[in-house]
Amino acid sequence: MLTDREVLSTFEMLKNEHLDVRTVTLGISLFDCASDDLDRFRRNVHDKICRLARHLVATCDEVGVKYGIPIVNKRISVSPIAVAGCPFSASQMVEIAETLDETAREIGIDFIGGFSALVEKGMTTGDRALIDSIPEALTRTERVCASVNVASTHAGINMDAVYLMGQTIKRAAQLTEKADGIACAKLCVFANIPQDVPFMAGAYLGVGEPDAVINVGVSGPGVVKKAIDRARAVNPRLDLGQLSEIIKRTAFKVTRVGELIGRQVALKLGVPFGVVDLSLAPTPNVGDSVGEIFESLGLKSIGMPGSTAVLAMLNDAVKKGGAFASSYVGGLSGAFIPVSEDLRIAEAARSGHLSLEKLEALTSVCSVGLDMVALPGDISAETLAAIMADEMAIGVINKKTTATRLIPVPGKKAGEKAFFGGLLGEATIIHVADNGGSAEFMSLGGRIPAPIQSLVN
Amino acid sequence: MRKVIITVLGHDRPGIVAAVSGALLEQRCNIEDISQTILQTEFAGIFIATIPDDTKENDLCESLEGKLHPLGLSVFLKPMQAAPAGTEIETEPFVITTLGPDRLGLVAGITGLLSDYGINIVHLKAAFRGGEDPRRNVMIYEVDIPVATDHHAFRAALSRRARELGLDVSLQHRDIFEEIHRV
Repeated sequence: MLTDREVLSTFEMLKNEHLDVRTVTLGISLFDCASDDLDRFRRNVHDKICRLARHLVATCDEVGVKYGIPIVNKRISVSPIAVAGCPFSASQMVEIAETLDETAREIGIDFIGGFSALVEKGMTTGDRALIDSIPEALTRTERVCASVNVASTHAGINMDAVYLMGQTIKRAAQLTEKADGIACAKLCVFANIPQDVPFMAGAYLGVGEPDAVINVGVSGPGVVKKAIDRARAVNPRLDLGQLSEIIKRTAFKVTRVGELIGRQVALKLGVPFGVVDLSLAPTPNVGDSVGEIFESLGLKSIGMPGSTAVLAMLNDAVKKGGAFASSYVGGLSGAFIPVSEDLRIAEAARSGHLSLEKLEALTSVCSVGLDMVALPGDISAETLAAIMADEMAIGVINKKTTATRLIPVPGKKAGEKAFFGGLLGEATIIHVADNGGSAEFMSLGGRIPAPIQSLVN
Repeated sequence: MRKVIITVLGHDRPGIVAAVSGALLEQRCNIEDISQTILQTEFAGIFIATIPDDTKENDLCESLEGKLHPLGLSVFLKPMQAAPAGTEIETEPFVITTLGPDRLGLVAGITGLLSDYGINIVHLKAAFRGGEDPRRNVMIYEVDIPVATDHHAFRAALSRRARELGLDVSLQHRDIFEEIHRV
């Protein structure tokens, strides 16, 4: 028999706090699709994804209805295409991206990740071809997401790759200038990319992973915010230690639900369950914002002094609750602060409370990085690359994942708005200081060596 | 071994279960299950007990009434029938919660729908304290839903019924509660 308190508190979580499972992502290995014949490779890729994922959406909906917990996004991540399709040229890589796009449309999902390369120590011909193809591939497709890992704690930072990504992002923005450079919203540059991220745009299936696997992204910034608000309404004298305990308990509940739902989907699809990713992932909806949590904890806005401390506490409490709830935690597992995808963070960028420098500071204590940050269109490739190099350095030295999703909006300046639509939201373009002052540094190239932290054996 | 089911009702106070179990012990009856609850001021208890072969049910009933009537308690006794074999339907446990202001017909409205879908209620707690505060007017149904049920259709029908009755409703698999609240 359940107690009234158990039933009513769950009722509350579901009714008023947007408890859902943010994403169920089916990882599919494409290594057995390998061929040096482009048509055969594309056919193999299409057929394998369709065979494994044909019932993904229907199964997620069925489980969601049965359990009364909606699964918001159903997605697919595949093996890094630069590895699976190593023999192909850049123009052929674009055709592969189109195959992924068509297949995603066919099975009814909004994003497919894994148009990816891992180049932290150097590039194969496949890596180079894939990166060269990214601007056109992301322009000609809607649903394909790309990621490039340019740094790791064990390899250091491949500065040639960072520079190349600066140029690639500029080109991708130019090719989609009518849509405010939207191609760049589907491209992440990483340090220490995890192999099992279920969240876009960074999802791909790593080489150590099974043939197929279900990874789940749980979320609920709304649940955390409401839990804090309710506790503070009942007892305004709660201190930060007590509030972090409330966040921890909430993360525990959210994670348990996510794993339960993910395991049910995996069981029905006949594939193994992989991990729960404990990230707090916002959307541009009211009540679903990470930025609002900062306000619930007493800051006027995210970006004001105190923000890094709040984020550090929030991120840590979420991990502690989640790690107790599930033994299989992976992916990014931390709070996301995507500027355009979060109403309050976007507002803080608009009102000037949140600068590029403060965003960078925040990323030293959370999981992702400079995410969905709109920048002036005239920013140089070198400055873009240097911003990424700084972000990669934070990840490499702190043995953590960092990433950038930067969008230089063609023809627009700081203070103007960029519109990406849907889940990608809209953002005010952030001012970049000293555009052009990093050119000589970036031209040096080479690889910044792995830090002493990498010598752990 | 024969089994009987005994229900006891009366104004609640200390000593009721002691009186019932003492009377059963005197008749050498072995208690297998008890469930008791208190609604507002009233006690209700259900006892399942095995009775010795040489004891008649009528005699046992008279003996219980003799002990319990003076305490102001009503007693009802009947022999228990074995469940017919092979009639079990595979089900899954769910919890239905409603919140909303009291009015005539809330329980009848919800349970009528459950009955139409062949859904069995295994535990029900409802309290209507009046007023507009929805938290003081709650129904919590633990139910077994046949596996073959069309969940889309049932969920839609339940939402529609709740709307007609002015209730907020939630339908959740019991696993959700177990996962969230129990370690």
